[in-house]
Amino acid sequence: MLALAFQLARRDLRSRYLGSFSGGAWALLQPLVQLAVYAFVFGYIFRQRLPGADAPGYVPFLVVVMWPWTAFAEAVSRGTTAIQDNASLIGKVALPRAALVLAPVMASFAIHGIGFLGLLLVMLLAGAGLAPAGLALMLPALALLFLFALGLALLLSALQVFVRDIAPALPQILMLWMFLSPVFYGRYVMPEWVRPWFDLNPMTGFAEYLRYALLNMPAPGLRAMACSVGAVVLVLALGLFAFRRLQRHFEDFL
Amino acid sequence: MSVLVEAHGLGKSYPRVFRRSDRFRSLCSLLAGRASGEVTPVLQGIDLCVPRGQSLGLIGDNGAGKSTLLKLLTGVLTPTHGSVRVNGRVGALLELGAGFHPEYTGRDNIAMAATLQGFSADDLAARLADIVAFADIGRYIDEPVKHYSSGMVVRLGFAIVAATRPDLLITDEVLAVGDESFQKKCIRWMEDYLEQGGTLILVSHSMYHIQKLCRQALWLREGRMQASGDVFEVTQAYLAHHERKSAADEARARDLDAVRGLEFHVRAMRVNGEEAETLPAVEQGAALTVEATIASRDGRVPVVNVGFARADGTPVYGVSSDMDGVQPAPLPDGDFRIVLHIAELPLLPASYTIRVHPLDSEGLRLFDTVERTLTVKGRSSESGLVRLAHVWEHAAPLSRSRGE
Repeated sequence: MLALAFQLARRDLRSRYLGSFSGGAWALLQPLVQLAVYAFVFGYIFRQRLPGADAPGYVPFLVVVMWPWTAFAEAVSRGTTAIQDNASLIGKVALPRAALVLAPVMASFAIHGIGFLGLLLVMLLAGAGLAPAGLALMLPALALLFLFALGLALLLSALQVFVRDIAPALPQILMLWMFLSPVFYGRYVMPEWVRPWFDLNPMTGFAEYLRYALLNMPAPGLRAMACSVGAVVLVLALGLFAFRRLQRHFEDFL
Repeated sequence: MSVLVEAHGLGKSYPRVFRRSDRFRSLCSLLAGRASGEVTPVLQGIDLCVPRGQSLGLIGDNGAGKSTLLKLLTGVLTPTHGSVRVNGRVGALLELGAGFHPEYTGRDNIAMAATLQGFSADDLAARLADIVAFADIGRYIDEPVKHYSSGMVVRLGFAIVAATRPDLLITDEVLAVGDESFQKKCIRWMEDYLEQGGTLILVSHSMYHIQKLCRQALWLREGRMQASGDVFEVTQAYLAHHERKSAADEARARDLDAVRGLEFHVRAMRVNGEEAETLPAVEQGAALTVEATIASRDGRVPVVNVGFARADGTPVYGVSSDMDGVQPAPLPDGDFRIVLHIAELPLLPASYTIRVHPLDSEGLRLFDTVERTLTVKGRSSESGLVRLAHVWEHAAPLSRSRGE
């Protein structure tokens, strides 16, 4: 199944980027443009509202969380429609169906992982205050994030076959989630009474851990980390359960 | 002989989903591990056992469930009832271009198909040249599949299956798309494959192909097994069913009362001594007697005509007593009787109608018609209606025989 997922992911990446004029560069370019926009909006226009946003460290601050988030969000949204998009394959070829979901998740993490690594190396060489040891320290967090995305993708792709409202609603939900997570800001800019609630968002643990590992910022509390790991385990278990239960009925409802 | 494919009580139903809420309700009940409400069965109660090296032909009308059965066997669909077990690697050619992605080149699709079959990159590299050569589509191999003609898609699909040499080959009616020479190449490959112990499950509407390639056949009708067994018996029963269906519209009931008033009518007709309307099947080449007892109103001697037609109405042979210079002999009660004897029936296996007509003494006016249905069975794969007496000359014995 893994070999099949690799093949599918490779094919997916090739068709997405080789077919376009700019090729693989687009994969890197898109988050870069996004980064520029966010850095401009938050670092320049809203600088009064976001303390610390005008500091020189804001770009690295943004980069170390935004890239993993982009990979995660793209993996979830592409994984969700994977079964529906491959309806023609499901009715005609015998294949492990989970591979269809695994492939876009792997592809998203691969393409954005490469971009992320490249950017981190550039920042490291440019002396942006990156901790070299953080490159190794961040790996478990990225692996967990991958599993988180996979679990969500399995769950949502199975549900999407039956209830088609999920895919159209997903971009809005992901957008909302991004702004509720400490991607553009740190938890410390929030009013005192709101801060503990951030622990309940599984993304908080990921964001703060990545900044801790790469930028030597304060580590997330145990509660936030536990929430993140717990969410990954729960979502993965739920996703596997729902997918196993429902996959034999996909062809009847596609 | 080891069993390659085994199915018990196999069935497939599709859920009835009309309203939007149906999907949600199905989702909830499926998640809870229950069945999903109302269903439409498309296939029920299929029992199947295909030993290794055996070949099975699937026949049936459109919508009988043939393709669904194939998909259940290949694992593309999951059965609603029963179980299916395949102890080997399956290669399937189900639908035109199934599994091919239109945007990718032939080579990319070969790589994908090989991965789906469980081949490693090395295996693939070793076979790629063979596949490309078998497909024989020239430079198109490096073009996206969407630019292919349907024949090229089939060529590519068959080439992949041929190169991977599966334990079980399952093909639907796709080969019909290929051109003459490619079809021949495929048939030749399949014969070769069968000879080397391969197993084949074939769906075709061409009884010729079924009889040529398969030893067993399964006739599906409205999702159920109508008949299964020896390929010749099943295909003949299937063809006879069709012939009768098309002839049924023309059949008229014989009005006995009206017939009695005529100058002549058939009092009795016996074929091989049987008076039943549908006779027991007769072997090809066996003896056949048709006995006609004719009632004559005015005591005049009738001419008797006996005709053979295929069940769909195509006439095969007709002969009258006067043509051969004979006439029915009288019986003590005033009727006339004549018996037509055919020593070796040359009709090919199929379903036929035998008709008896009395004509007036001049052999001009036809009065009555009585018919019987006769099934001729046999293992012949000759085509047409009758076997013409023949010998081959300047011929050598066949060197290659299918391993009987």
